[in-house]
Amino acid sequence: MSANKDADGGWKTFVWNSERREFLGRTGSSWFKIFLFYVIFYGCLAGIFIGTIQALLLTLSNYKPTYQDRVAPPGLSHTPRSLKHEISFNINDATTYTQYTSAITEFLKPYADEPQKDESKFEDCGEQADTYKMRGDLEPDVLGARKTCRFSKTWLGACSGATDDTYGFKEGKPCLIVKLNRIVYFLPRPPISNGSLPAAVNLNPNLIPIHCNNRRTGEQLGEVKYFGFGGGFPLQYYPYYGKLLQPQYLQPLVAIQFSNITLNEDIRIECKVFGGNIDYSEKDRYQGRFDVKLIISS
Amino acid sequence: MFEMGGGVEVKGGKKTKKEKKKERLEGVKKEMDIDDHEIPIEDLEQRYNTNVTTGMTSTFARQVLERDGPNELKPPKGTPEYVKFARQLAGGLQCLMWVAAAICFIAFGIELARGNFTCFDNLYLAITLIAVVVVTGCFGYYQEFKSTNIIASFKNLVPQQALVIRDGRKDTISAKELVVGDLVEVKGGDRIPADIRIITAQSCKVDNSSLTGESEPQTRSPECTHENPMETKNIAFFSTTVLEGVATGVIINTGDRTIIGRIATLASGVGNEKTPIAIEIEHFVDIIAGLAIFFGFTFFVVALFIGYSFLEAMIYFMAIVVAYVPEGLLATVTVCLSLTAKRLARKNCVVKNLEAVETLGSTSVICSDKTGTLTQNRMTVAHLWFDNHVHSADTTEDQSGQSFDQSSETWRSLARVAGLCNRAIFRPDQEGIPIPRRTVVGDASETALLKFTELTIGNIEQYRNRFKKVAELPFNSTNKFALSIHELEDPLDLRYLLVMKGAPERILERCSTILIKGQELPLDEQWTEAFQTAYMDLGGLGERVLGFCNIYLNEKEFPRGFSFDPDELNFTTSNLCFCGLVSMIDPPRATVPDAVMKCRTAGIRVVMVTGDHPITAKAIAANVGIISEGSETVEDIAIRKRIPVERVNPREARACVINGGQLKDMSSDELDDALRNHPEMVFARTSPQQKLIIVESCQRLGSIVAVTGDGVNDSPALKKADIGIAMGIAGSDAAKNAADMILLDDNFASIVTGVEQGRLIFDNLKKSIAYTLTKNIPELTPYLIYITCSIPLPLGCITILFIELATDIYPSVSLAYEKAESDIMNLKPRNPRRDRLVNESLAVYSYFQIGAIQSFAGFTDYFTAMAQEGWFPLLCIGLRGNWEDTHLQDMQDSYGQEWSFSQRLYQQYTCYTVFFVSIEICQISDVLIRKTRRLSVFTQGFFRNKVLMSAIVFQILLGNLLCYCPGMPNIFNFMPIRGQWWAVPIPYGILIFVYDEIRKLGVRRAPGSWWDQELYY
Repeated sequence: MSANKDADGGWKTFVWNSERREFLGRTGSSWFKIFLFYVIFYGCLAGIFIGTIQALLLTLSNYKPTYQDRVAPPGLSHTPRSLKHEISFNINDATTYTQYTSAITEFLKPYADEPQKDESKFEDCGEQADTYKMRGDLEPDVLGARKTCRFSKTWLGACSGATDDTYGFKEGKPCLIVKLNRIVYFLPRPPISNGSLPAAVNLNPNLIPIHCNNRRTGEQLGEVKYFGFGGGFPLQYYPYYGKLLQPQYLQPLVAIQFSNITLNEDIRIECKVFGGNIDYSEKDRYQGRFDVKLIISS
Repeated sequence: MFEMGGGVEVKGGKKTKKEKKKERLEGVKKEMDIDDHEIPIEDLEQRYNTNVTTGMTSTFARQVLERDGPNELKPPKGTPEYVKFARQLAGGLQCLMWVAAAICFIAFGIELARGNFTCFDNLYLAITLIAVVVVTGCFGYYQEFKSTNIIASFKNLVPQQALVIRDGRKDTISAKELVVGDLVEVKGGDRIPADIRIITAQSCKVDNSSLTGESEPQTRSPECTHENPMETKNIAFFSTTVLEGVATGVIINTGDRTIIGRIATLASGVGNEKTPIAIEIEHFVDIIAGLAIFFGFTFFVVALFIGYSFLEAMIYFMAIVVAYVPEGLLATVTVCLSLTAKRLARKNCVVKNLEAVETLGSTSVICSDKTGTLTQNRMTVAHLWFDNHVHSADTTEDQSGQSFDQSSETWRSLARVAGLCNRAIFRPDQEGIPIPRRTVVGDASETALLKFTELTIGNIEQYRNRFKKVAELPFNSTNKFALSIHELEDPLDLRYLLVMKGAPERILERCSTILIKGQELPLDEQWTEAFQTAYMDLGGLGERVLGFCNIYLNEKEFPRGFSFDPDELNFTTSNLCFCGLVSMIDPPRATVPDAVMKCRTAGIRVVMVTGDHPITAKAIAANVGIISEGSETVEDIAIRKRIPVERVNPREARACVINGGQLKDMSSDELDDALRNHPEMVFARTSPQQKLIIVESCQRLGSIVAVTGDGVNDSPALKKADIGIAMGIAGSDAAKNAADMILLDDNFASIVTGVEQGRLIFDNLKKSIAYTLTKNIPELTPYLIYITCSIPLPLGCITILFIELATDIYPSVSLAYEKAESDIMNLKPRNPRRDRLVNESLAVYSYFQIGAIQSFAGFTDYFTAMAQEGWFPLLCIGLRGNWEDTHLQDMQDSYGQEWSFSQRLYQQYTCYTVFFVSIEICQISDVLIRKTRRLSVFTQGFFRNKVLMSAIVFQILLGNLLCYCPGMPNIFNFMPIRGQWWAVPIPYGILIFVYDEIRKLGVRRAPGSWWDQELYY
């Protein structure tokens, strides 16, 4: 097919050789044959591919992830999100923090009382930390969709937005809403001993405690307030049954308010959850902890 | 129509080039127009301010030395080392990689300018590309450096001395200090220190073979016999050797101005041809670049269409173009070539330039010098005629051939004459050396006779002692005979024995009887005719014939103590008894006929190009098979049909002998015609320039030309040839410098090995390249799908580099060890215009079929790994924006689980690894199918290539190391993956294997069919 191209080297004749009626070195029928060949070839390949993927999907459960080794142990995420690991705003300029406050408002919408009314989907699990609330296996059995424990945003106190719709931002006492990333059927275990815990953390067998600290000594973090279940994630909200069985699932939240933070200074804060099966990683800054730089100017 | 037009144009274009060359050659010839040999001695003395008896004055000599510089050949302007190195960095593939690296830097710059400070992939890629080019460059440079060293070690380091007469005193000085006008004295065994005009000479003979290729010694005498300085007898040339006799002469040219110097300069003026493999690689780079730009542009348009910004689309375009660069290929090609070079070196072929390894494989014409290459460059007795029969002597180098019947009385007499009438003697202390290789003092034919008699009748020195010599007359050109008179070994027999040898017709004149079976018979008409026939026959074989006769001198006439005066010839020199004829030739090397035969079956034409006489050349050509049995020249046909030469249709003649004189009068078209029409060609009496013209003519006819040679006279042709092959032992430095390859054992048969290896490497490189190219597609498609479908990136840049430069290098090199599929020495040489290294069907088959299957394997494994970790295939599409958002720490998967960015990143690395493993598994299958292009792998032997097997094991081990070595995730983005993800691509690997077996089956079953045309590469 290339002999012609080499023989006279003319690009024009290569593109269209009127003498042999060849386009790009092939006649119409030759193009048709090779085209047909590739249609069949790729058709077969695509068939094999789709077949394999279908077979793969058959082996997967819709309810139970095959493996969770990449997603567990869970990450710790906060709202509002930081940008390049920092949250900075000016308390005197509302435009600098509305993006944060609206993110919190948006995030807290499902936690309002109104969406949690449906008794068939929600249930009360008490306002004290309790042990795991098991709702059967990870299978779509007779139980059907699983109920979800209610979590009212009012429990977040000063950070609930009820009293201050800027969540403390305008006073320089910003709130961060923290949640433990959800993982299907994951049962977080509370810390066993308090040896490795910071002194301020009180040990509760049904609570995964969270604690924030300044990362560098000498910075003035001031008082940190924790709202919701005494500064931790209560166990009765676990396990999570997945998107299909528990579509309206609400994770327990902790609101952290930095109520006496030094203004006009870079403050690096690290928040950590503690638990038997909570891990931290050098490389993953959001696994079981997060750190964020707060710059509040006035 | 088209072809004709093209042909004419090409010829026209070449003609002008040719004319230019001719002008230059003409220029060289003109420079040789010296008259130093024609003018009277007095004029010569005046011209050079010298004296033919006392020489120059040392003071003036010193001045001249300052003016002209030392008498030595300026070493050819060696390429500076940095240029050599730079050349290693500037091949076709290298250029491709430089361009790719530049594009990477640009892309990196654009990314930086856009404020993306995290993506260093482009930078890494650029650095790796440059590193690969530089490292392989160093490797290639080192290889060349090594072989240059081997060659350099051959150089004769002993400084030459010369005997010069200055101020009337004889003095031995270094030959470097000689100047024009110096009077020098040379004797047998010396190398002539410069071009000299002979002033006095005593039976002086020189060996001009290194200059002209003539193996016969040339007489040098003071008379000017020819106006052409090359032909005249009174000039002896620099670097030729004096075989015997003594001579004095005035130096007329020194250093680079000598004839040898000029030829050497001519060689350095001849441009080097591009090697076929370089052309192939350029063609291949064209294909790659074309495909890369085509793909890049297509997806550039697609990206714009999808809605990416122009700059982003531009970056994608660059990335795709770069992804098409086969990073590993350069290393593979270099290593494969040097492996073969090494293999050849073990078989005594040293390759100066790696690429020349393959050139030999594509050679279609070998222009071989005769003397020293095809022949032993040693006069040897080849035939004897006695008892009215022609007997063949053993001419093999190691005396392994058949000898003749030595029982006849006549033989004894003949041997006695040959042994006694001979002044040559062995140099002392050579007992351990086989007789044919001992050095001898004496001229060539006496040497041949000496060795011959030593071999047949034993220790000749003792033999001569038994017959005491009383008088002798050495050979001279007026008498054309030599004689000596001896006492007999029997002390009671008081007769003298006169033995004589010489030109057969002169000897016959002096004979009246002939010895037949020990009986002296009268030399009548019948015997004279028999003699004439034998003489013609042997002469027709290109052999130098000598006649031998003897007589017992009457003891009454010549009693003991008779004073024989050889000058007066005061004794009987007629009515002698004729013993026989002995003919000598420089015989072909034993291995040559076989090698020529092999070349023929391999479709390679062997053309003899020699400076020697046509008859000798033709005889040797016939002897070694260059002119095959039954082939006739025009002249032969004319004689057979008894018609004039002009009436013979030249097309009937397969063979053709053209001598330099005829060649001079031929136009280049006529020469082309001759080469086209006569498959068996011999060129005789050619000058170095004519050798060049012949090579050019062959190249014009589209042949890839190899030239073998050893003399300085061959060096321009060696340089001009596609591959020049010089002889390592006999070769002159000039020849070695000009050559691309050196035969350390001077054995023409090694060329055949070279051809075989060259063809094999061409085949195997094709396989290696096919193997290497295949994985380009599974490396590229992830990126294409990433752009178009916005899935998380399935394969990262670093991972690709690991495939290209780590895991797949060894398997691709191991294909170089693959045995040939069929007997490659029975095939025609490849047609450089049609049989490309990388043709379209190879690229298309590798890219769009095997590569496509590999891509599907990779994606299957990718989607498996994603789905099993919680990301279903349909979710993956369009996922990319959120997936790559570094601030999104709670992205939901198909089960509603929330992933932090780093978790997603490690998942992405898992995908890289999974894709990597898929490519590896498929590549194992790929390397197995690439073992053959036509045969079934099972016929070829599944496990026969041990290197390939170990390469596969290596590949798997390295893959495991990368996957499971701690620390890998954060350094090279490899994750430990689950065992079953290794298994997912295996069915695809099997599919590749089965599909290729079906392809090969179709190709074998239906040659010439559509299937064969489209799918055979």
